[in-house]
Amino acid sequence: MKDAIAFAFLGLGAGSFFALMATGLVVAYKGSGVINFAHGSVAMYAAFTFNYLRIDGRLRLPWVDILPTHQVNLPVQITISSGGKVNVWLAVLLALAMSALLGVGMHYLVFRPLRNAAPLGKVIGAIGVMLYLQGVALVNFGSENPQPKSILLPDTLFKNFLGFGKPMPGENLGLFIMAVLVGAVLWFNYKYTRFGLATRAAAGNEKGAVLLGYSPERLALFNWIIAAMTAGLAGVFVGSITGALTPTKFTTLIVPALGAALIGSLSSVPIAIAGGVGIGMIQTVTSTWMTGKSWFPDWLQSGATDAIPLVIIVLTLFLRGKSLPIRGNIEERRLPLSPYPKRIGWHVAILVPLGVVLAYGLPGDFVFAGLSGKWSFAFMTSLIAAMLMLSYVLLAGYVGQISMVQLSIAGVSAFFMARMSANGVPSPQDPFAVSGPGLPWPIGATLGIIVAIAVGVLLGIPALRIRGVQLAVVTIAAAVALQTLYFDNSKLTNLMAGSNAAVPPPTFFGVDVGSTGPRGLTDSPKFVTFCVIVLAAMCVIVSNLRRGSTGRRFLAVRANERAAASAGIDVARTKLLAFGIASGLAGVAGVMTAFQQQQISSSNWVYFAGLIALAFAYLGGITSVAGALIGGMLTGSGLISVFGSHQSSGLHTYTPLIGGVGMILTAIIHPSGQAMLFQPLLQYFGRWLKAARVPEWLVVARRLGPYVVLGLALGAIGINPWRTDEWSRPWMMLVGVLLVLFVRSIVVRIRSGGHEPSSDSPAEVSA
Amino acid sequence: MSETLIDVHDLSAGYGGIPVVRNLSISVRAGEVVALLGPNGAGKTTTLLTLSGILQPISGRVDVLGETVSGVKPEKVARRGLSHVAEDRSLFFDLSVKENLRLGLRGDRNERAASMEVALDLFPALAPLVDRRAGLLSGGEQQMLAMARGLASRPRVLLVDEMSLGLAPIIVERMLPIVRRIADETGAGILMVEQHVGLALSVADRGYVLAHGELAMEGTSAELRSNRRLVEESYLGGI
Repeated sequence: MKDAIAFAFLGLGAGSFFALMATGLVVAYKGSGVINFAHGSVAMYAAFTFNYLRIDGRLRLPWVDILPTHQVNLPVQITISSGGKVNVWLAVLLALAMSALLGVGMHYLVFRPLRNAAPLGKVIGAIGVMLYLQGVALVNFGSENPQPKSILLPDTLFKNFLGFGKPMPGENLGLFIMAVLVGAVLWFNYKYTRFGLATRAAAGNEKGAVLLGYSPERLALFNWIIAAMTAGLAGVFVGSITGALTPTKFTTLIVPALGAALIGSLSSVPIAIAGGVGIGMIQTVTSTWMTGKSWFPDWLQSGATDAIPLVIIVLTLFLRGKSLPIRGNIEERRLPLSPYPKRIGWHVAILVPLGVVLAYGLPGDFVFAGLSGKWSFAFMTSLIAAMLMLSYVLLAGYVGQISMVQLSIAGVSAFFMARMSANGVPSPQDPFAVSGPGLPWPIGATLGIIVAIAVGVLLGIPALRIRGVQLAVVTIAAAVALQTLYFDNSKLTNLMAGSNAAVPPPTFFGVDVGSTGPRGLTDSPKFVTFCVIVLAAMCVIVSNLRRGSTGRRFLAVRANERAAASAGIDVARTKLLAFGIASGLAGVAGVMTAFQQQQISSSNWVYFAGLIALAFAYLGGITSVAGALIGGMLTGSGLISVFGSHQSSGLHTYTPLIGGVGMILTAIIHPSGQAMLFQPLLQYFGRWLKAARVPEWLVVARRLGPYVVLGLALGAIGINPWRTDEWSRPWMMLVGVLLVLFVRSIVVRIRSGGHEPSSDSPAEVSA
Repeated sequence: MSETLIDVHDLSAGYGGIPVVRNLSISVRAGEVVALLGPNGAGKTTTLLTLSGILQPISGRVDVLGETVSGVKPEKVARRGLSHVAEDRSLFFDLSVKENLRLGLRGDRNERAASMEVALDLFPALAPLVDRRAGLLSGGEQQMLAMARGLASRPRVLLVDEMSLGLAPIIVERMLPIVRRIADETGAGILMVEQHVGLALSVADRGYVLAHGELAMEGTSAELRSNRRLVEESYLGGI
C-alpha cells in the first residue's frame, strides 16, 4: 500500500497536465458552449512555438504561405533573435501570446460563426481546427520531432518523498503547484469578478445578458483567450515531461482531460483540477503498481490505463444524466434535412457498371484501360471509406448520435477476422503467424462483423442516457480504450510487438478476389468489383432503412426523443438498433479494409483517424447516402486526394490543412454537406442542358464569357510565371478561370444582398 | 414639457422581413408611465424587442434616448440607459439573487451599493432571499427579481413586458404601484405591456392600443377608461 501511494505521487505530473487541460476545456465550455476537441492541438502549437524559439529564435505564425508565387508571400516566420535562442521568459510570453492569438482566431473564425449550429456542426468545427493546427505544425515545424526543453521546473529529485521510500522528481511537484494556482485564480474569477459572473450569466441565459448590456460575443472571446492560454501553459510547461513533440501530440491526452472536465460537470474549475490530478494518479498507480500484482488480469495489462478515463467518463455521465449544464437561449439549428432516397434502382444500375468500368476499363482497352496502380488503390480506399461513412450517415445523420468510435469498431471486426482466419502456420509472407482456428474467410468475416455489432451495441448503451456532444466524448474515450485494450494488446491479438496481422485473400468458388492484381500491385480489378458490389448492397440497405418505418423511427428520435417516445416509439430500442446496424456497416468496412491491406496493424484504427472519417462524412453530407459516397471520394488517400497530389507534387503535406479548412467552411457555410450542394445544382444544370439552345448559350456566354477570358489571361500571364510548384500550365489557366468566377460569384452575392439559403429555411427545419 | 425618451415614427418591425407591427408611432417622455395594450399577437412584445435593439426595424425611425437603435447592438442600447424586463424574465437561474442583481449594477462602487439598496427597498420580499439561486424562486419572486434587476442599472427608460404573466392578481396589484413610484421618483420613462387593462390604466398616464399590428387607439388613461367599450372591441377584433 505504501508503494501505491508513492506511485500515486509519480502521477502528479501527468495529472497536473490533465488538470490544466481540463480547466481550459471548462473555460471554453462556459464561454461558448463548445467542447473543444482541438484543445490538445492548441497546447501542441504553443509547445512547438516555445521550443522553436529556444532552438532557432524564430516565431512561426499559425498559417502557411498559400500564395503560389515566389514574389508575393505571406509572412510565416518572424525572427525574434537572429543569434538563435530567445530568452526563456520571452519565449514563454510569446508562446502564451501565440495561444491567445489562436484563441482569438478560434472565436472569430470558427465558433462565433458556428454559435447557432447543431452540436455536430460545432464538433466538426473543432475537428477542423485540430486538423488545421496539425497541418500547419507539419508544414511550419517540419517533421523533426525535438525533445521539448524543460523549463523553470526544479531539477531536484526527492530521494525519499514524504518517507514513502520512492524517489520523486521535483518537477511533478512544481507542475502540481502551478495547476492548483491556475485553478485557484480561475475559480476566484468565475466566482467573484463581474466578468466571471457575466460569463456564467450568459451561459445560462444569453438574452438576459444582452438586455443587461453584456455582449455574449465579447465574453466568449475573452473566455476563448483564457482557455487557449491555459492550453498554452500546459503545453509549454508540461510538454517537457511527455516525450518528443509531434504535430499529433496531446491529441490522445485530451481524453483524460475531458474526463476530468466532465467530473466537474464542465462548469467547476476546482473539481476539474482535482479530477485531472486524480486521473493522473490513478493511471500511474494502475500502470506501475496494480499491473505488477498477481491478481491483476493478464489480458488487461496493456490497456488498463486508457480504460480508466473511459470508465470515469461513462460513470459520471451516466450517473449525472441530464444534469450537465446546457447553454440557455441559443436557438440551435438542427441537423440538415435527411432527403428521401428516390430511384435507388436507377442509381445502382448506373453507378455499379460505372465502378466496374473504372476497374476493368472499356472493352478492347482502347479508350480506357481501367484504373491501375495507385489509382486503383485509391479507388478501393474511397469505396471502403464510403462503407465506413455509411455507418456515420446512419448513426449521426439519421439518428443524431454523434459516435466517433465507428472506425475502431471496424478495427474490431478486422482484427477478429484476422485472428479467426489465422492458423498458426508460418509462411514467407507471414513469418510470425499467430495461432488461431484457421476458419475460411466467409465465416471469419461473419464472426468479425458479429463481434463488431456486439461491441457497437455495448458502446451504444451509454447513449441511452448520454446525448449530443457528451456522447461524442464517451465514444472518443471508447476509441482510445479499444486501441490499447485490443489492437495493441498482444495478449489478445497474439501478435509480436510491431508486427501486423496477416489476412488471407478472399476467394469465390476458387476465384481469388483478393486485392493483389496480376502485376503484384494492390490493384486487382476483381477486388474493386467486389468492393463496388458490397458498397452498392450496403447503400441499398441503408436507403431502404431510411424509406421504411425504421427510418421514420430513426428520424423521429433524432428530432425529439420525448416526442418520439410519446408517439409510441421505443427510443432505447431504436437507438440500440441503430448502433447495431451502424456497427455492422462499420464491421463490413473493417473486413474490406483488412482484405485490401492484406495485413492490419493497430495504426490503421487510431482514434483521430476516426474523427477525420466522421468529418469527411460531414463534408460529403452526413444525412444522405450520396453524402457517404462523396465523402468516400474526398477522403484522405482516396481518389480525389490522390488526383490532387498527382497534379501538384507538394500538395500532400497540405492535405490535413486543406481538410481542416474545408471542414470549418462546410460547417459554417453549408452544413448539409457537399451532397446537398451538388444535387440541386446537377439537377438544375441537367434540366438546363436538356432545354438549352443557341440563344440560352449566348446569354451565358455574354454574361460569363469576359470573366472566363480574363481568368484565362490571368492564369496564362499572371500566375504562371510566379508559380512555385511544377504545376502544368493548362492547370494554372483553369485555376485562373475558377478564381475569377469565384470572386465574381462572391461580388454578385454581396451586391444583391441576398442571403444564402441555409438549413433554417422552413422546409428543412420541419424535417 | 419633459424630454422625449422614446420616439418611434412610422415603424414596421417583425421577423425575417415580414412585418408584425406596421406604421406605428409612439412616444414616451421622462417621468411618464405609458401602457401598451392589445390582444395576443397584436405586436406588443415585438415593439419592445425592437426598441431594445434585439429585433432590427424593417422601416421607420426608432430613437431611444436621443439616438437611433437601428444597426445598434442590443447591449449598446442597454448601456445607453435602457432596461428591458423581458416577458420570459431572462433570469440567470444558476446564479444567486444577489449575483443576478449585481450584474445589473452600473457605475462606481458607491453608486452600485446605493442602487442595490434601492432595488431591495422597492422589493423588500427579496431581501431574505439574496443568497438563494434564482431558479429556486417562486414565480412572483422571480418577477420581482427581474424588475429589481432591471432597476438596478438606474435606467432612464424602462420597458416592462407582461409583468403579470402567470402571477396571482394580488401580486400584480402590489407590483403595479411600484412601477408608478419608479417613474415618479427617478423620472424614468416607462413603457409597459400589460394584459390587465384596468389595472394598467390605473397607474399609467397614457396608453396605446394595438390590434393586428396597427395602432387602434391612443389617449390618456382617462380617455381610454371612458372608452372602455372601444378598447374591448379592439381586443375582440371589432376595429
